[in-house]
Amino acid sequence: MDVQMVLPFYHQTFGPLDGRRMTVPLSRKLEELLGREKVFFSEADRLCYSYDATPLVSHLPEVVVRASTEEDVHVVLEAAAKEGASVTPRGSGTGLSGGSVPVDGGIVLLTTGMNRILAVDADDLSVTVEPGVITADLHAAVESKGLFYPPDPGSMKISTIGGNVAENSGGLRAMKYGITGDYVLALDTYFVDGSKVLYGTKCMKDVAGYNLTKFLVGTEGTIGVFTKITLKLVPKPQAKKTILALYDDILAAGRTVSAIVSRKVIPSTLELMDDVTIACVEEYAKIGLPRDAAALLLIETDGHPEVVKEEGAKIEEACRENGARTVRVAKDAAESAELFTARRMALSALARVKPTTILEDITVPRPAIPEMMAAIREAAKKYSLRMGTFGHAGDGNLHPTCLTDERDKEEIRRVEAAYDEIFRKAISLGGTISGEHGTGMAKSKYLPMMVGPKAVEVMARIKGVFDPQGRLNPGKIFRTEAR
Amino acid sequence: MGAAQDLSMLREAFSTLDVHGYGDVLQCMRCGFCLPTCPTYRTDGVETQSPRGRVAMIKAVVDGRMNPSEEFAEHMYHCLDCRNCHTVCPAGVKAGELVLDARHRIEEHRPQGVVKRFLLEYAIRDQRRLSRLLAPVRMYQRAGIQALVRKYDLLKAVSAGLSHLEAMMPDIPAKPLTETSQEEIPADGKEKGRVGFFIGCAMNLLYPEASRATAWLLSRAGYTVVIPRAQQCCGAPNIEEGERRVYREMAENNVDLFLGKGVDFVVTDCAACGNELKSYGTLLGGRKRNSRYASVFSGKVRDVSEFLAGALGPGIPFGPVDRTACFHDPCHLCHAQGITTPPRELLRRVPGLRLSEVPDAGQCCGSAGVYNITHADRSMKILAAKVEAIAKTGAKTVLTSNPGCMLQLEYAKRRFMTDWEVMHISPILRRSLARGEEKGGSE
Repeated sequence: MDVQMVLPFYHQTFGPLDGRRMTVPLSRKLEELLGREKVFFSEADRLCYSYDATPLVSHLPEVVVRASTEEDVHVVLEAAAKEGASVTPRGSGTGLSGGSVPVDGGIVLLTTGMNRILAVDADDLSVTVEPGVITADLHAAVESKGLFYPPDPGSMKISTIGGNVAENSGGLRAMKYGITGDYVLALDTYFVDGSKVLYGTKCMKDVAGYNLTKFLVGTEGTIGVFTKITLKLVPKPQAKKTILALYDDILAAGRTVSAIVSRKVIPSTLELMDDVTIACVEEYAKIGLPRDAAALLLIETDGHPEVVKEEGAKIEEACRENGARTVRVAKDAAESAELFTARRMALSALARVKPTTILEDITVPRPAIPEMMAAIREAAKKYSLRMGTFGHAGDGNLHPTCLTDERDKEEIRRVEAAYDEIFRKAISLGGTISGEHGTGMAKSKYLPMMVGPKAVEVMARIKGVFDPQGRLNPGKIFRTEAR
Repeated sequence: MGAAQDLSMLREAFSTLDVHGYGDVLQCMRCGFCLPTCPTYRTDGVETQSPRGRVAMIKAVVDGRMNPSEEFAEHMYHCLDCRNCHTVCPAGVKAGELVLDARHRIEEHRPQGVVKRFLLEYAIRDQRRLSRLLAPVRMYQRAGIQALVRKYDLLKAVSAGLSHLEAMMPDIPAKPLTETSQEEIPADGKEKGRVGFFIGCAMNLLYPEASRATAWLLSRAGYTVVIPRAQQCCGAPNIEEGERRVYREMAENNVDLFLGKGVDFVVTDCAACGNELKSYGTLLGGRKRNSRYASVFSGKVRDVSEFLAGALGPGIPFGPVDRTACFHDPCHLCHAQGITTPPRELLRRVPGLRLSEVPDAGQCCGSAGVYNITHADRSMKILAAKVEAIAKTGAKTVLTSNPGCMLQLEYAKRRFMTDWEVMHISPILRRSLARGEEKGGSE
């Protein structure tokens, strides 16, 4: 709807405009433009969009808009530009770096209402969706056609594709299949001034100009809002084999990871759990894990049945030759699901121990995993913290998870100090402060240390080109602020 | 003057939310895993209609970041109390129970309506009284007035709400079970033990034949069935509406009554009652002596399927019942009590019964006590999704074990023209066992 069309209404209701700032609240204007059912601004509405899954952060937005069409997004951005309001895009709010927390208030722009799968192209192996499509729904839709969209972030049952693209989400299958960004072919993107760019094709080869698609992926909602996303698909693997190995020594588990890779096998899943996590899982779920085990590896290979058989044997051999205490190979899908139980329960089990659970996601090169694990343990000990680590050993992405209590301010300070050391260690080992959660608010403080001041400056200049007033998802990536 | 004063009192009430409860609130890590399973999030798609949102609101009120306003109270009543969020929460947060706790604190601090007090504090305390109160409804149905009203849609002119209410109304049998059954039914064959049969108000008044079948099954399993006349409502409606004084009185009466009969188990065929009876142990806490008895009582409580799956030994033959059926999991059975296998185990023993799974098993049907009346629009959306899911199974019989679900699914027949029949699992099991007995042999 045109702003001009509704202006007479304002004149009638609120008196003539005097050319200066309108006194009508932003929420009322958005209601006029979009209809009441898409605009939320009560105390409860604002509170419920003040957070995402990131611990300890919450900022109230002024108003929340649930867009259901591309035009809604356009209208919100134009209205925000006119009013000078900030806009924070949000999917389901499962991010772990504060990416969708409205730090400066303003408008929270929800894309969950744009949830149509527009086209599955089985002939050309691609799918086009709106940003609010739930990741697991996309999986189901393409798998029913014998196709496969590999990225599987932990929150896939509720996370949106738009959020996955904005955060460049990873998952368990990253080692073999890569992450979200490896599957994005084309994007329709609105910039903060309301202008729009369509970039990318379904072609595997497309080098026209700068690759804007690659650039936009992982910008955490600070450059643009996606309204249409085209993703690459692959054929669904026909078979898989699951193996669970237990160790008395975490170094042996680390050596196994290298041994598997040096046997020229890339498993689709290669997950690691440490002793604290194993003990917590057993405490909570009682699934028969030995409480004195020091580490656990969950490995899965998929593909052609013959290849899976051969790779399965090599993996088993690698486990046994590197000091695994027990190795279990699943005979069927049911047993495979059973072996996955321990890993699936990891976060649940840890989260139940203490009121607050703070999860990090440093990533290091695979050979450095044992050293990183030792450093995490040392930090936990030094700051007297209970910390369990699990993660994607196959790609070096580890989740040191601190079990704490947000009411204990002194302990929270120790948590921060411990993570500070862990981040520094990860960087010194050639790793990164975030493998898949993003920078957001949570890690903006560490970004200069991570990439260097020049890189931050380049990023800030790029941001300035698209959003000179800093109104799109403010307070992310660049703001130096503790969590 | 009232409003401001009420607010400050409420704020005080929330500041005293017990440590356990508050710990639970803090335990929420806001991962959002509860969102896709929450029926209200599925219909409305906004965070305020999700368990994560409700927990955030409660936490904000406790912390003084949000006013315990009328809006807050409304949000606490949008929850169906299906407890699906309990099942999926990785951190073990019981968002559904927190909401009930919040309702309690809200209701303690605001004046209660006459109708609500009449129902919760008077009507449901005595099954005979409740039955007498339904006399006008029986007359309305039997004298043919209902047929006329429905034929000409007479109430539509009065109000859409009233018309919906009338349409929801089930047929009420002439006599409740408590007026016709014996107080003690002997065990069939050698007595293995004594079970107290807790008859829920809704089962008693609306589905007495199903409960009669339950009693028959318990006896057939070798148990003497004790049906104490003085049993009162389990208190679930009170808990749902935030009332806890009369709740305690009724709960204490039930505990003393059943423990006084020397029963080994207390069985119920209503999922909502079963969950409430199992909760006495924790909810009656605080008064030490009573809470200990309440825990003993709760420890004896079994859902009918849970009990029969163990009690109907392999020696008892099941006869054939030719049907294509599905089992609809009542939320208070699968999420609140964690029971999903026993009813399926029993039904699979029935030869000829083809049991298929509902694709969205575990999703609420939208009944949720009086939710289908208080939140009619959303309840009907939830029901429509359930109807669609059940249609995919091809089942001609929908089996379940909760009167609320039965009412709602029967209403689907009138509203969505579904072609399936709704039945409690007890009558179908009874039919199978009776046939098995006739044949006198094994299956």
